[in-house]
Amino acid sequence: MAGGACDDHASAGPAETVIWVTGIGVVSPLGVGAELTFDRLVRGDGAVGELQLFEPADCRSRLAAEVRELDVAQVAPPEQLDTWSRTDAMAVMAAREALLQAHLTPDASEGSAVDLIVGGSTAGMFETEKLLAEMSKNPDSIEPLKRMLSHPLSATADRMLDTFGLLRDARTVCSACSSGANALILGASRLLSGRSSCVLAGGADGLCRLTYVGFNALAALSPAPCRPFSTSRSGLTLGEGAAFLVLETEAHARERGVEALAEFRGWAVGSEAHHITHPEPTGETASRVMASALAMAELEPTQVGYLNAHGTATPLNDAMEIAAIKRCFGPAAPRLMVSSSKGQIGHTLAAAGAMEAAISVMVVQHGRVPPTVGLGEIDDACAGVDHVTDGRRQDVAAAMSTSFGFGGSDTALLFSRPGAFENKSGFVRRRVFVTAAATLGAEGICGAEDAGRHVRGGDPESVAKRIEFKAADYLDLKRARRLDRPARMVTAVVEHGLAQSGCPASRLADAGAIVAAAYGSVDACANYVQRFTDRGARFASPAVFPNLLPSSPVAHASVYLGLGGPVFASADVGATAEGAMVAAVELLEVGQGRIIAAGGVEEASDIIDRALGPLCTGHVGRGPRSEGAAVLVFEAEVGDGDVMSRAIAEVVWSDAWRDRCDWLGLPAPVGRSGVFVATDVPALGTMLTGSGWAKVSRYSVSGRVGHHECAGGFASAAAVSLLAAGKLDMAFVIGLAPVRQRALVLRACPHGAKP
Amino acid sequence: MLTASADGMTREQVTAKLKEVLIEELNLEDKTPVDIDQAAPLFGEGLGLDSLDALQLAMAIEEQFGVRVPEGDEARPIFASVDSLSAYIIDHS
Repeated sequence: MAGGACDDHASAGPAETVIWVTGIGVVSPLGVGAELTFDRLVRGDGAVGELQLFEPADCRSRLAAEVRELDVAQVAPPEQLDTWSRTDAMAVMAAREALLQAHLTPDASEGSAVDLIVGGSTAGMFETEKLLAEMSKNPDSIEPLKRMLSHPLSATADRMLDTFGLLRDARTVCSACSSGANALILGASRLLSGRSSCVLAGGADGLCRLTYVGFNALAALSPAPCRPFSTSRSGLTLGEGAAFLVLETEAHARERGVEALAEFRGWAVGSEAHHITHPEPTGETASRVMASALAMAELEPTQVGYLNAHGTATPLNDAMEIAAIKRCFGPAAPRLMVSSSKGQIGHTLAAAGAMEAAISVMVVQHGRVPPTVGLGEIDDACAGVDHVTDGRRQDVAAAMSTSFGFGGSDTALLFSRPGAFENKSGFVRRRVFVTAAATLGAEGICGAEDAGRHVRGGDPESVAKRIEFKAADYLDLKRARRLDRPARMVTAVVEHGLAQSGCPASRLADAGAIVAAAYGSVDACANYVQRFTDRGARFASPAVFPNLLPSSPVAHASVYLGLGGPVFASADVGATAEGAMVAAVELLEVGQGRIIAAGGVEEASDIIDRALGPLCTGHVGRGPRSEGAAVLVFEAEVGDGDVMSRAIAEVVWSDAWRDRCDWLGLPAPVGRSGVFVATDVPALGTMLTGSGWAKVSRYSVSGRVGHHECAGGFASAAAVSLLAAGKLDMAFVIGLAPVRQRALVLRACPHGAKP
Repeated sequence: MLTASADGMTREQVTAKLKEVLIEELNLEDKTPVDIDQAAPLFGEGLGLDSLDALQLAMAIEEQFGVRVPEGDEARPIFASVDSLSAYIIDHS
């Protein structure tokens, strides 16, 4: 390696490896409370019934598993009742139970600092979908506007921040039906990365017309209560709920004198890159993810006693899942107890991964195993495991939970009984480097060589509201035909970034992408609701429905590009791209994935311009938003020197917080340094005071790229560009929102990084 | 609430409209109606469509022609080609 390399990295070193689950909370269709839900699951009780929340007109099913006793007014502060959703209320109830079980004081504003990660997919959709339909006809007809505060996916995390004084930060993640499981992985990664010693992670999702009608359009709803793994299975039953787990390092729990319910011993996330709605029939990726979770846990297949399956009861999912189990567990599969909880509580979508993680924790905790309710004759394609048809009393030393989301985002989590196995070997946190940047905006597509132009200044008012983007210039339209505009923007920018990084095409299977979308595809959701409201559910488009989630653009990109690594969206309004980047760094540091393109995408939208933007990010103002997509490519040190030789900069610090950062470990600016931000606001100066970065030159990009939620991604790319050009030695990239801040410090590696 | 029907349309008119529906609903941006061989298989080979496309087409056919296409195994021969779909639409209008 050439001289002039980066200094030694200060934070690498042996890290805490043991993570405990110390609290669980569940709100399920079977009841409020983790233990109540578990008892009823093991007894074989079901909660599937006639849908009461709304009229499922024109749908092939009239069933759902609802949380019937939910009363938002009993949870929300009276003055905020009109801005809370059912999802928010369930999340707060489940989280409170988990915090109390972990002997944490939810309302304490001092003392324990707990970071929150919420997996979600619809948030306040039920409460806002009729307003959206009105707005899609006339964006100015928005009354009551305040109700829209519950719409953004991050609204649930915001309500939880408002409710629980002990929360230090809140982030939101979406990977459709594996969102809750990925929230747990992000939480555990944060613990292992050493940035936190206690997190609250889980998922929440309330029923809404949009998902009910959408799954109906996909012919995925079963007219009868769903029958996982059965010959007669004919689709899923939708449910709703919330589940949260308190995860903390063993050392932190011992210091507080709190006992473990289970050890969170292994996990893995990967992508199928197969199809936006169909699972990969061979189960190859699901099997790889299960095997990776086992390897991380340092367990053999024979040591796992139980697997809580995704088990949606769609013909394709269940066959794929059992194929994957047999592939991963091999000769141990016939003795592996398997059940799906979905015949009892329905498919709770973004909550499912967390709900089923909570169930798996209680299985190892209590030595009782819940059955698959509705399992009649076992389908030949689902045979080969020990299907649990009645609740059993059986000691289980380790239990796995699997979740699979639209676009093939596969997740496996592994919990073990405390003390059942030897401690895992220690691990060393990996260094993380930036190897490329890419932006797609008003100035076309830019890489690290020219993204520096974004800081040249200009008038945000003169930036085009809708950028010129000809997908055919970047993508094969035949393969991209299912991709809507935001998905095409994400695919183009991720592809450009990965190509610029010098990462060989052969490594794409190792690459992942975390792309934030602050508000999701809000206009497309509005049009969808308007159409089925006006014309009936049978005219809801099956092909459009999978494009409506915040994770849809990045999921499509993974299928198009063949990405096999972690793929999901984050949704931290106001600091979206920076939030995705911080998450990517934490995952890479602790061994999830090797290459992650992370950033954001935002699409021009009248509804965001006129309602959501001004409501949710007051400091952005009502000016034209513009739109765009931007990513940085992050790569972990993997020992072969290749990554470091291609490195533009090293991530020497990153963190996420709310309002007040302790700047722990923040490096001082050295040499020529710059602070990079979407829009320079007075709050930035106040925030930096005392950090050493207060007097450093500031660069902002809104004059060139306009105001939009992904502008921070452009600021990050500009920073990388100036570092690559040798114009700066260090850059502090910071995303500022009213209640959340995310930041990274990058140090140039002009001649590659020193090993 | 149907807005369209194939009543009174000739087979050629149904086929021509069906090709437009295919291109529009399945975003076949690289195709024009003359590119679509009406006798060729729609799924697997040919246009390379899959079951998600079949659902989309079924919805669009009901919307554009007022004809409901059955689901599952019954639908297979109907979705075999543009010709078989046209024949089904005409027979059920």
